[in-house]
Amino acid sequence: MKLYNITIGEPKKIFKPALYGVLSNIINVLPFALAIEAVRLIFSSFAQPGITLDLARLWLVCGSMVLTIFVMFGGEVLAYRAAYRGAYLLAATGRVKLAEHLRKLPLGAIISRDSGGLSNMMMGDFALIEHSLSHLVPQLIGALVLPLLAFLLLLFLDWRMAVTMFAALPVVILLTMLTAKLQLRLGGGHMKAKISAINRLQEYLNGIRVIKAHNLTGERFIKLEEAFRNLMTASIKFESLVVPAVMAAIVCIRAGLPLMVFIGVHLLLGGELSIVAFVTFLLIGTRIFDPLTTVLINFAELSYNEQAGRRIVELYTEPIMRGLEVPPNKYDITLEQVTFQYGDSFVLANVSLQIPEGSLTAFVGPSGGGKSTVFKLIARFYDPQQGRVLLGGKDIKTIEPELLLEKISVVFQDVYLFQDTIGNNIRMGRQSATQQEVEEAAQRACCHTFIMQLPQGYNTPVGEGGCTLSGGEKQRISIARAILKDAPVVLLDEATAALDPENEQDIQKAINELIHGRTVIVIAHKLKTVSTADQIVVLADGQVVEQGQHRELLAGKGLYSQLWDLQQTMQGWRISS
Amino acid sequence: MVKYESGAGRLLEIAAEKSALLIWAGIFSICSAIFLQVPYLAVYFILAELLRNMAQPEMADKIVMLHWGMIAMLSLIGGIIAMYLGGLCSHIAAFHILYKLRLRLTEHIGRLSLGYLTQTSIGIVRKTLEQNVEKIEKFIAHQLPDIISVMGAMLVMLAAMFYLHPWLTVVCLIPLFLCLALQLGMMLNQQAKQRVRAYYDALEQINASTVQYIRGMAAVKVFGQTVHSFRQLYHDIIRYRDLSVRYSDQFQNGFSMFKVVLGSILTFVLPGGIYLLSRDPGNIDLVLVLLFFLIMAPGLAVPIYKLMHFAGAFRDITEGVARIDSILQEKPLPQVEISSLPQSFDVEFDEVTFSYNGYGAEGSLPVLNNVSFKALPGRITALVGPSGSGKSTAANLIPRFWDVDRGAVKIGGIDIRNIQSKDLMNTVSFVFQDTFLFYDTLYANIAAGRPSATREEVYAAARAAQCHGFIERLPQGYDTVIGEGGTYLSGGEEQRVAVARAILKNAPILVLDEATAFADAENEYKLQLALKALMCDKTVIVIAHRLASIKEADNILVFQRGTIVEEGTHLELIEGNGLYTAMWTAYTNTDAWKLGTVAGKGNR
Repeated sequence: MKLYNITIGEPKKIFKPALYGVLSNIINVLPFALAIEAVRLIFSSFAQPGITLDLARLWLVCGSMVLTIFVMFGGEVLAYRAAYRGAYLLAATGRVKLAEHLRKLPLGAIISRDSGGLSNMMMGDFALIEHSLSHLVPQLIGALVLPLLAFLLLLFLDWRMAVTMFAALPVVILLTMLTAKLQLRLGGGHMKAKISAINRLQEYLNGIRVIKAHNLTGERFIKLEEAFRNLMTASIKFESLVVPAVMAAIVCIRAGLPLMVFIGVHLLLGGELSIVAFVTFLLIGTRIFDPLTTVLINFAELSYNEQAGRRIVELYTEPIMRGLEVPPNKYDITLEQVTFQYGDSFVLANVSLQIPEGSLTAFVGPSGGGKSTVFKLIARFYDPQQGRVLLGGKDIKTIEPELLLEKISVVFQDVYLFQDTIGNNIRMGRQSATQQEVEEAAQRACCHTFIMQLPQGYNTPVGEGGCTLSGGEKQRISIARAILKDAPVVLLDEATAALDPENEQDIQKAINELIHGRTVIVIAHKLKTVSTADQIVVLADGQVVEQGQHRELLAGKGLYSQLWDLQQTMQGWRISS
Repeated sequence: MVKYESGAGRLLEIAAEKSALLIWAGIFSICSAIFLQVPYLAVYFILAELLRNMAQPEMADKIVMLHWGMIAMLSLIGGIIAMYLGGLCSHIAAFHILYKLRLRLTEHIGRLSLGYLTQTSIGIVRKTLEQNVEKIEKFIAHQLPDIISVMGAMLVMLAAMFYLHPWLTVVCLIPLFLCLALQLGMMLNQQAKQRVRAYYDALEQINASTVQYIRGMAAVKVFGQTVHSFRQLYHDIIRYRDLSVRYSDQFQNGFSMFKVVLGSILTFVLPGGIYLLSRDPGNIDLVLVLLFFLIMAPGLAVPIYKLMHFAGAFRDITEGVARIDSILQEKPLPQVEISSLPQSFDVEFDEVTFSYNGYGAEGSLPVLNNVSFKALPGRITALVGPSGSGKSTAANLIPRFWDVDRGAVKIGGIDIRNIQSKDLMNTVSFVFQDTFLFYDTLYANIAAGRPSATREEVYAAARAAQCHGFIERLPQGYDTVIGEGGTYLSGGEEQRVAVARAILKNAPILVLDEATAFADAENEYKLQLALKALMCDKTVIVIAHRLASIKEADNILVFQRGTIVEEGTHLELIEGNGLYTAMWTAYTNTDAWKLGTVAGKGNR
């Protein structure tokens, strides 16, 4: 087990809580030590008939005990504050750090993880860390130091008895290591069952409409039932297999007491051990093993929690996108023999392209042909495995990722609005924008009118408890964002226009406002829309199969002209019986 | 509405579902607790033997002492085994109860109106099923047997002490009562209760914003927002941290005092004993009694400790249970006992008025106001209108995702509220605009339409929906798993799979959201073919966005602000020169759009 993981990479932060934990543990043992002293005094008085009870000293012991109450309180308060505050602060800093790190990862690294796992990390894993740092670690360290101190002191009293007291400790350590291994193996399965249950639940909640429509609610949604059942079996298995090892270790620790009886009686009768010493050992033996049991139980819990810490630390170390240079002032885009693959399958194979500054370039072709991947590479959501993407002649890998994105506006099909006011959602485009600039952008994106019709205008909250917007309205807000951002390069998915056919005209206007005078790259579905483009690139199976202007491509009689004919003949489809 | 007890009663009610196992758990736990006291007793007897022979150590009875050493060893092993068995019983019971509870919750959610699940409530429901349900495990598997065992052991111990020396026993009880008083004081503190609530609210909030943050990652990246300006999450993390700190500060002094008093039982017992001894020094029996108390009394702290942990966790658990119950108390859509099965399949809206009220929107106007129409079998009825006009809402009322406020939706003359949900769902098929595919094989995704279908029927449906071809081309064909690290389909492909599902279901009524907005040219053509196969002979209700597609519908209903303003065929409506005509004109203009220009109006 690594302290590094459990402190999510900040092992120094544990120093203070551990120190106070040790301190309060030592203080707390004072009443017991004084009680032993009293028992020794009493036993001594029975050693020879002549000696009477030393009452004066006994009362002195009692008086000291009363004093310890105040010292103990001081120690407790200090330990309490160090442990709890330390844990909460560390977890909060860690959560912020993780959120920040997630943001800097290539989008691909996030998409490849399921969102259930990530949210669980952010909340559940950090909660485990909090608990470990506020309770488990200080207790563990305190409980370890105490028996160790006792052992060292008792060595002077009688080394044979002291050794007997902890004779079984090596077995305990062995068992603990074994448990940790077992836990690691079973814990993984348990975590998998847990995450799978979460994902199935999320699926159930997201798909409730379809699930209801097919009579699959509750138990009838078998996969959810199975996931819950697997979680149950995995949990039972985990408990029933890991716990016996812990139990065996507890037996070994506590066996020290009976062992001391056996050895002590032997030594006593051989005249090698005084009764008072034996009594002292037995009395200490009644209490010394409790902290060690705590150590064991905490250790088992800690090594489970350590996995949570490891998951977090591992994510921290996942490489973020590098690049420090400022973007150039030229905005032509070049793809140089770019190859990109998800897993084993090629999405783009050796694609080379020139996109001049200020031009309109359209990507068309069958779905799965690689159109949207080109977008994602230009915006550097991913880095290509081979080849380079250049902006103004500069490899975008060398450009600081945030500065690069300042130069690019993206309008995709799926608009994500934050739970904030409409005004602030538009202001996402440029944080420094004034209210007037926000409204201007909204006007140009044809959303000012509908925003003003909302109860609180630009201050209307979006989403839950606020207004619900239609797909087209959301789309226009995303265009307003992009207009406000005023980036020289625009990546645009043409299908966005079709999201809200009732208001298509408004979106079309908004898009025209956005693309005016910029380097524009469009994914097009309706060929007619992009027939005036400066350059049309036909992508199929990850390769550029045709390239040129509308007329040239039609004359080429290739894939483009086939698609064109198909769309021309359809003229919009009709529902008829 | 079902009303649940709150607090301890409710928890025991939940636990009672596996009472036999839990009784065993309790028995084992009590045995274990008693066994584990025996080693202390053994030490006492050995010390007593030694004290009696203090003057002549060699006279002490070796056999008796070794005997007690042996008993200590055996009872230690026995105690631990009993502890394990008890823990096993209680864990098995707990995990079974958890499993049942989760199923019950999801089942219940399935019976609620669709309005219950919104984006934020999904986060909250998820958290409840994930974390709050697990708190019940803690209670049943750990705390319940723990409490039973320590209480049992404490009673046995107190009885022995009282038998030996009532007066000293009373002295022992003083710190215990002090601790209980402290604990009670902390528990009943109103301010503390409020803080707990505030803490929980913050926790829920941070959960919701975490989900939002991760789902919105693409947007965050595109706009290059730093985490600090990503206000909500950061703010929530800090707020949660501050509340946690305040929450822990609240209990700092009380908790520290509690620990100190509990660790000072000997500080009470020893002076008491010395006082007794001072009046009767040399009384060896009294010394032995004091010795017994000195050895056993610190053990009394353990039950109190556990009680304290329990009380702390109890708050946490009851709060969690309350949140579970608040889901279970949501009223499901009422179901009739005896289902009426429609004999014909015309769909009729009879003066339907509906609003989403009660689920968020406050004081809003009805989304549908006194809407009446009839959709006939074998005919296509199209619902058109500006967005927000109520056409999608109307379609969502047919499968009874919501109940109407006034009026009735009828199928074959029968109010759908008199049809049991499963019969209603078998009568109606849907193709939604936002396709939802399960994380499962393509085969299973299609077969969901009719689980009893044969393999051939599934293939036939896939062929009719024009998706057999692309499925066969996938490396694992129909066994390809969709989503979550599996294969991702394009929007058009997903839609065709959804259509295949509906074809397989083959219900007499089809509600169709004209779902082609995402499709590209090739897909669109194929989807058309697929839908044609689906629609024949059915009562078809289409929510149309692009007017061209429903030009040939048998009846077009034009919605505006929750009412039907026009009705008729395309030609009739065009002649009427009303809203429909205006929409048609706008539509034909947009269709000619080329990037950079607005057709029909020239460049801006």
